[in-house]
Amino acid sequence: MSWFSDWKEKRAKKKAEKAATAAAAPAKKEAAASSAPAAAKGAKAPEFIADSPIDGYVPGLGAPPGGKINIAIYWAAACGGCDVSLLDTDEKVLNIGDMSNILMWPIATDGKEKDIEALEDGEITVAMINGAIRNSENEHMARLLRKKSQILVSYGACACLGGTPALANLVPGGVNEIKDYVYGVTPTSANFIADGGRKLEDVMPRPEYNAPEGTLTLPVLYDTVKTVDQVVDVDYYIPGCPPTQKSIAALLDALVGFVYRGEALPPKGTTVGVIPKSLCEECHRHKENRRITEVFEPHEVLNIDHDLCLLDQGILCLGAGTIAGCGAPCTKADQPCRGCYGPPKPVSEQGSSIFTAIASLFPIEANDAKMNEDDMDDIMSVIKDPLGYFYAFSMSKSLIKRAVNEGGQ
Amino acid sequence: MAEFEPKIVAFCCNWCSYAGADGAGVARMQMPTNFRIIRTMCSARVDPEHVLRAFSKGADGVLVLGCHPADCHYIGGNYRARRRIALLRMVLEQYGFDPKRMKLEWVSASEGEKFQKTVIEFVDTIKALGPNPVCSKEA
Ligand code: SF4
Ligand code: SF4
Ligand code: SF4
Ligand code: FES
Repeated sequence: MSWFSDWKEKRAKKKAEKAATAAAAPAKKEAAASSAPAAAKGAKAPEFIADSPIDGYVPGLGAPPGGKINIAIYWAAACGGCDVSLLDTDEKVLNIGDMSNILMWPIATDGKEKDIEALEDGEITVAMINGAIRNSENEHMARLLRKKSQILVSYGACACLGGTPALANLVPGGVNEIKDYVYGVTPTSANFIADGGRKLEDVMPRPEYNAPEGTLTLPVLYDTVKTVDQVVDVDYYIPGCPPTQKSIAALLDALVGFVYRGEALPPKGTTVGVIPKSLCEECHRHKENRRITEVFEPHEVLNIDHDLCLLDQGILCLGAGTIAGCGAPCTKADQPCRGCYGPPKPVSEQGSSIFTAIASLFPIEANDAKMNEDDMDDIMSVIKDPLGYFYAFSMSKSLIKRAVNEGGQ
Repeated sequence: MAEFEPKIVAFCCNWCSYAGADGAGVARMQMPTNFRIIRTMCSARVDPEHVLRAFSKGADGVLVLGCHPADCHYIGGNYRARRRIALLRMVLEQYGFDPKRMKLEWVSASEGEKFQKTVIEFVDTIKALGPNPVCSKEA
């Protein structure tokens, strides 16, 4: 653990140095703090330790020359996995602490909405939003953080593509149908209503409630779940469910370069951590003729061949319609790619692009010319739930974003 | 209210169906004018994305027309197309569309009459179904 004692030493030295300069020039620091990133330009680079033991982690980084930057992390309609991926950064989280004041991070710190509201516009350097926009509160917070931040990052599959929450768009009756089911039909709710002699209205949440103490409000759910960039302007995207440590390190490296050395940030709109080709190129499996006649769930295939393309084994893998960069952890673990990184750049619709490719892998039959379209329906019906499967992550970004009702409303 | 006049997008493959449509026109066969033809080199060039885009932009119905099985200029294009269209039909049904809003039909270069019949029938079908449900509701 020599790097650790090294790190402690450096850290102590840095601290002493800092105290000395702070005492010598308190006025200078104050002036710099108000425009941290700009002031960082031309500032002396800190000493980077060449053999940093953890990829992306810089021991003894210390505060940026222009003072700490402000960051905020918010969860919208999220599962918490994205926040955990940020907590999972191990030592790198210390660099985040060196570099910044975390003004808001619901999973880990105490910052509240009113604290953000009290800030000047642009006072936050980087805000990261994970999760989809599922209700009015999500949208309000996204707009608020956009207003207060210089850089806004859409973090994770839900924020970038809609992700799992956006599958709610496929409920034909929208929010009302979902609420009726959750509060009226699920056994716990139904029993609760029946046991207490209650009515559905008694348990149904209402967006406004007049209590003796005043009016209480709840966020309003949306019928159509949206991505972050469908409600506010986004600067960077980090895909993944959740994003990989490699992507986080890439963002952190860019930020460290920016705040400590005044280096240019990647161009606006950059998707961090991707490689502009399809996942199949990153996947270690070799491809044979890839003809599908039967479809299996991974658990139905005993002895999955670890080196053969999963499509060759009848397991529907979305790699061909997914952008590379994650390192294909899923196919390494004998699981198909579910497409969490989103489509490769030129592709606008991930779902249709992948099911088009997969439909083409069904072989032509000897008597194809004599078959009719009903026979085709039979052949293709081995694929269950194509909409849910091929659009599992990208519903908010698809061409048709929600269920439709024939014959008017 | 005036009668509903549907907007229909018809993808026609260059080698058979487009020629068939041309034949119908040259022979001055009467048919409704609700459709706009998009010529593709083969029915297999019709990506399901094109059909979804047509629906998302307000088309009330989509026709995909190609060479008869075994007649595709590129040998197997229509065999690919019919599989994709079958899967797309499942997807459209899951969205809640009436699957009759999209039709795959084989029309050869000499089948002007079949082209006419297909268009007439399809326009009737779509008129009965009413307007595209995507436009009526978008949150
Ligand atoms: S992207 Fe995945 S990990 Fe992140 S919030 Fe959505 S479901 Fe959870
Ligand atoms: S389809 Fe899936 S298993 Fe096959 S090569 Fe592509 S990513 Fe790998
Ligand atoms: S293999 Fe596919 S599902 Fe798995 S992490 Fe990569 S993009 Fe996501
Ligand atoms: S060329 Fe007509 S279907 Fe292929």
